[in-house]
Amino acid sequence: MKLRVLHRTTYRYARPAYDSFNEVRLQPIEHHWQKRLSYDLRSNPISARGGYLDLYLNAVDVLEYTQPHETLEIEAESTVETTTRTLPGPEDPAGLNDPAYALQLHDFLVDSHYVQLSPDLWRQAVDCLPNGVTDLWQDSVTLSHWIYDHFEYAPGSTHAHTTVNEALSKRQGVCQDFAHVLLGLCRSLKIPARYVSGYFFNEEFDPSQGGSEASHAWVEIFLPTVGWYGIDPTHRRPVDERYISIAVGRDYADIRPVSGTYRGAPERTMEIFVRVSQDLPTNA
Amino acid sequence: MLSRVADSLYWMARSMERADNLARLVEVNLQLLLDFKDLDNVKLKEHWDPVIRSTAEEDLFYELYDEANSTTVTEFMTFNRDNPNSVIGCIMAARENARMVRDQISSELWETLNNLYLFLKSDDARKVFDTGAYEFYDRIKSQSLLFQGLTAATLPRDECYDFLQVGKYLERADKTTRMLDVKYHILLPSPQDVGGAIDTTQWVALLRAASAYDAYHAHYLANIDPSNVADFLIFSETFPRSIRFCAQELDARLHNISGCPQGRYSNEAEKLSGKLLSDLTYSSVEDVFKYGMHEWLDLCQERLNEIGESTYQAYMFQKPLDMAEEIQQQQQQQQ
Amino acid sequence: MDLSAYTTDGFFDEMFAGDGSIRPHYQKLFERLGTLSVDEFKNKQQAVDLLFLRAGVTFTVYSDNQGTERIFPFDLMPRIIPDKEWQFLERGLKQRITALNCFLHDIYHDQKILKDGVIPPSYVLSAKHFRREFVGSDVPRDIYIHICGTDLIRDKDGRYLVLEDNGRCPSGVSYVVENRQAMRRAFPHLFPSAGVKPVENYAEQLLKMLRRIAPHGQDNPTVGVLTPGVYNSAYFEHCFLARQMGVEIVEGRDLLVRDFKVYMRTTKGLRQVDVLYRRIDDDFIDPSVFRPDSLLGVPGLVNAVRAGNLALANSIGTGVADDKVMYYFVPRMIKYYLDQEPILDQVETYLASEDKDRDYILKNLDKLVVKAANEAGGYGMLMGPWAEKEEIEKFRQAIIANPRNFIAQSPISLSRHPTWCQDSQQFEGRHIDFRPYILYGGPDDIDIIPGGLTRVALTRGSLVVNSSQGGGSKDTWVLYGND
Repeated sequence: MKLRVLHRTTYRYARPAYDSFNEVRLQPIEHHWQKRLSYDLRSNPISARGGYLDLYLNAVDVLEYTQPHETLEIEAESTVETTTRTLPGPEDPAGLNDPAYALQLHDFLVDSHYVQLSPDLWRQAVDCLPNGVTDLWQDSVTLSHWIYDHFEYAPGSTHAHTTVNEALSKRQGVCQDFAHVLLGLCRSLKIPARYVSGYFFNEEFDPSQGGSEASHAWVEIFLPTVGWYGIDPTHRRPVDERYISIAVGRDYADIRPVSGTYRGAPERTMEIFVRVSQDLPTNA
Repeated sequence: MLSRVADSLYWMARSMERADNLARLVEVNLQLLLDFKDLDNVKLKEHWDPVIRSTAEEDLFYELYDEANSTTVTEFMTFNRDNPNSVIGCIMAARENARMVRDQISSELWETLNNLYLFLKSDDARKVFDTGAYEFYDRIKSQSLLFQGLTAATLPRDECYDFLQVGKYLERADKTTRMLDVKYHILLPSPQDVGGAIDTTQWVALLRAASAYDAYHAHYLANIDPSNVADFLIFSETFPRSIRFCAQELDARLHNISGCPQGRYSNEAEKLSGKLLSDLTYSSVEDVFKYGMHEWLDLCQERLNEIGESTYQAYMFQKPLDMAEEIQQQQQQQQ
Repeated sequence: MDLSAYTTDGFFDEMFAGDGSIRPHYQKLFERLGTLSVDEFKNKQQAVDLLFLRAGVTFTVYSDNQGTERIFPFDLMPRIIPDKEWQFLERGLKQRITALNCFLHDIYHDQKILKDGVIPPSYVLSAKHFRREFVGSDVPRDIYIHICGTDLIRDKDGRYLVLEDNGRCPSGVSYVVENRQAMRRAFPHLFPSAGVKPVENYAEQLLKMLRRIAPHGQDNPTVGVLTPGVYNSAYFEHCFLARQMGVEIVEGRDLLVRDFKVYMRTTKGLRQVDVLYRRIDDDFIDPSVFRPDSLLGVPGLVNAVRAGNLALANSIGTGVADDKVMYYFVPRMIKYYLDQEPILDQVETYLASEDKDRDYILKNLDKLVVKAANEAGGYGMLMGPWAEKEEIEKFRQAIIANPRNFIAQSPISLSRHPTWCQDSQQFEGRHIDFRPYILYGGPDDIDIIPGGLTRVALTRGSLVVNSSQGGGSKDTWVLYGND
C-alpha cells in the first residue's frame, strides 16, 4: 500500500522564543515490510540542520532556531510503500535464551522512564495468563486484547507525561498509554517489547469534513524466528499495511516526535495536523 | 574579553570605590558631630538621615533599626551584611567579583582584596573599630589606596584596566555628587550661623572627606568659601575626585575600549559621556547655583547612571538566564 | 625534629620499615629534618597555612547554606616515591587508561566486549552514566578520558592497589602544583639535593593535549575551561588551570550555540570556541539533551559536539567507567583489549548483583566495605567493621532492593605516613592514599605528572581522606633516583 503522510506541528509563543534546540523523530523507518520512498522536513523559520542515528537506529533531525520567533512550524512529509506481513506462528519463549539476545534485548525487558515495572503490572499480567508464557505471540495478543477490553479510550484523560501505573489504575487513556501498559505487562513476564511511534491509515476518515488525524503508537514484540512484530492494543489487532512506523524505543521518552527546549515565555500553544492518505497530497 | 569578565571587572572596581567612599562618608560625619552643640535625638536624626539617603538604602535602614543615631548608622554602613551598600557588603561584592576574574588580575591585587575581606570578616576588625573608628576607617582607606596603587603598578594597560577605570570613575563621580548633596542639605547655612565657625568647619570636613583639603588650599589659599568648594569638587580639571576629572577619565577609557577617537562616538555610552564632559567643560559653578545645586546634582547622577547602563548594554549585556524560561516542548501521541 | 618516638604500630609505613629503620629514599629528608627545630617547623607550617588562605587556595564546603571557604590542610612532611616504584606505577597507569579508553570507545560503538560476553551487557546498559544519546557518535581521536585521576592505596605489605578511576572531572591537581610551590618556599634548599622531579609543567601539558584534540585539525584553536561557576567547590582549581594555560575560564552563560558551533560572548562580539576542558558533569552540560532544569549548561552544545565542531575533554559518557561495578571488570578489559596481564592490582571486589557474591556480602556486612556504584567523595559508603548496627541494616535493605547499585570490598589497611599533629605536637602515623593525574592523548602519547595528590586522613585511625571529610594533603616527591 502506498501511503503519504503530512505531519505539521505549529507552536505559537506568547512572547518571542529563541535559542530553541529540537530533536525531531519523524522519518519513516526502512524495513523489509516498509519502504521509505521519500522524506522531506521543512520548517518556518528556516533552521540550521543536523542529524544522527540514535541508539535504536532512529533517524533524528536536529533543528536549531536561535533567533527570536513567535511561531514555529515544523512539517514532515513522507511517502512509504507498506506490505502486510505474514502473521507469526507459535513462538516458544525458550528461543529467547540465546545469549546473543542479552545485549540486543536488554533495554526492552527492564524498567524505562515511563514504564516502571510494578507489582500491580505483574499481578495483572499473571492474571491474564494464569498458565504463564507458552507462546510469545499469542500470549502478547491476549495481553493486548485485555487492554482493549478493559480500558476506555479517552482523549484528554491523560497527558504526555502520564506513566504506566497511572494509566493502569485509571483504566483509560490514549494510544500512548495503551502502548505503555502493554509494554509493562509484557516486560513483567519477560516478553521483550518496544514502543513504536507512527501513523495509522484510517480509510473511514473523511478529509472533506476538515479536522486532523493524529500520530499513533503501538508495541512491537520480539519473536526469535521473525524478529520484531507489531501489535496495536488501541485497535485490538496486529499491525498490517495500514501502519507506518517512524521510531522505536523503550517508551515514549525515547521517540518524542518533537522534543527540545527554548527560551522565552512558558505560555505557548501547540497545534498538530496529521494527514495520512493513500493518494497524492491533499491541499492541507 | 568575555562580556561577563568585563562586567565583573567593572563591578569589582565600582564596589571597591564605593567601600572607600562609604568609609570616608561615615568617618567625616562622625567627626562633624563632634563640633555640634546641644545634640538631641531630633538633631541626630536630622544629621544622619540625609547620609543614609545618600546611599539609597533608607528603607532598609528603617526596617533594621528604630532610630538613626551614630551607633546605628555606623553599624549599618560599616558592618551590616544585610546592607549591600555597607563597607563590608561592598568589599564582599568586590572580592566575589575578583574571584570570578582571578585569572585576569595580578595576584598582588587579588591578595590585597582578599586580605581586606578576611580582615573585615575577622574579630580583629571589631577590635580595631572599638579602639577607634578613625583608625578603622583609615585602614579601609589605606587598603583602598593600596588597591589603586597596585592597579596602576601591576596591570597592563589593556581592556581589563580600562573596564576597571570605567567602574571606578563612574562610582567616584557619583559619590562626589552625593557627598556634595548631603552637605548641601546639612550645610545650608541657617541665618544665625552664616560665616560662623560651624559653617567653615563643615566645609572643611567636606573637603577632608574627599581628600581634597590640601589640594583645595593649594588652589585657593586659606579662603574656605562654599562656592569655591563646590567649584573645586565639581569643576577642577586636575583634582582626581572632582566630577569633571572623573568624566574626563571616563570618556577617555570608554573611547580606549572601542578604539574610537575622543570627540566622536561609536556607541551610546561614548555619546553620553562625551556630552557630560562637554557640559562640564562649558559650565561654571554659577550655572550650577542658577539651576539649583540639588537639582543639578540629581541630574548629574541620572546622567552617570545612563552612562553606566549604556556601557552595560554595549559590552556586558547578556540575555537574562531565567531558567523558568527554559521550556521543554513535546507532544503527546494520540489516536 | 626528632622522630625517635615515632611508631609504625604494625602498619605499612612509607618512611620506616617494619624494623624501625628508615627507608633509603627518605634518608636525605630525614637527615635534613634532623637539623630543623620544632619551632622552625611550626613556623613554616603556619606561614604556609597563611599563604594558602591569603592566596585563596581554598575549596568551598556547603555544610550550611552559605558555603564557607576552607584551605585544604597541608602537611609539610612530604611523601616520597623512588624512581623505580614510579616507573612501575607509570606503566600500570598507562595500561589502565589505555584499556579504559578502548572500553569506552567500544561500548559507544560496536559493543564487542558485550557481544563477546566478556562483560555481561546488562551491567553496562544499566549503568547510571551510560549515555545512550551518545552511542554511535565519534569523538576526536577516539579519546574519551583525556584527564584521569586514579586513586591508589597501599596495603599492609606495601602493595599498590587501584581503588578507583575518576574519569569524569577529577579535581585536585591544582593542589599538586600549589603544594609544591609552598614546599619550595618553606624549604628552598632541600629540593636540589633531594633530586625531585618537577610537577610545574602540568598546565603546559594539559594545554598541549587540549590543542591536539581540536576539531578539523586546527593549528590555533580557541580553548576554554568550562566551570559551573564561582560557587563550585573546585572553582579555585578551574581558575588556576585557566590562568596557567592562559585560556579563558567560561561559564555556561558565556557561551551560546549558533549553527552547531559554540561561541563565547566577548566585549568585541562572538568568538568561536573549539575545545572545552569542561568541569561540569554530563547531566548539566546541555539542558536541551540532558537535565532540562540545568542552570549551568549550554543549550545546543551537544549538537555542536555531534557535528564535530567542538571537542570536549573529557568526552560525554565517561561516567560509565567510574561506575564501581565497571571497576570490577577493568582487569578483563586490559586482557580483552590489550591482551596483557594487568600491571597494577586492584582491591578484591564483590558484585551485589551476582547471586553468590550477594549472599557473601549480606552475610559479612560487618566485615566489608560496601560502596554505592555511583557515589564519590566518600559518600554512599558503609565501613562494616566500624559501622553501627542500624547503618548496616539500612545498607542491607538498600542492597536487597537494588543490588546493581552496590559492590563490596574487604577493608584495606591503608599505608601510613608520618604526619605533623597539632594536638600532640609531634609526628604520628596517619593513613594516606594517592591520586596521580594522567593526560591521555592516545596510546603512545600519555603524560603522567611525576607526583600527584597524596591525601592524608588527619584524624587518628581514620581511613577517610576526602577533603570534605577532614582530609589533608601532602606534597608528593618522585625522585630521579631510588634514594
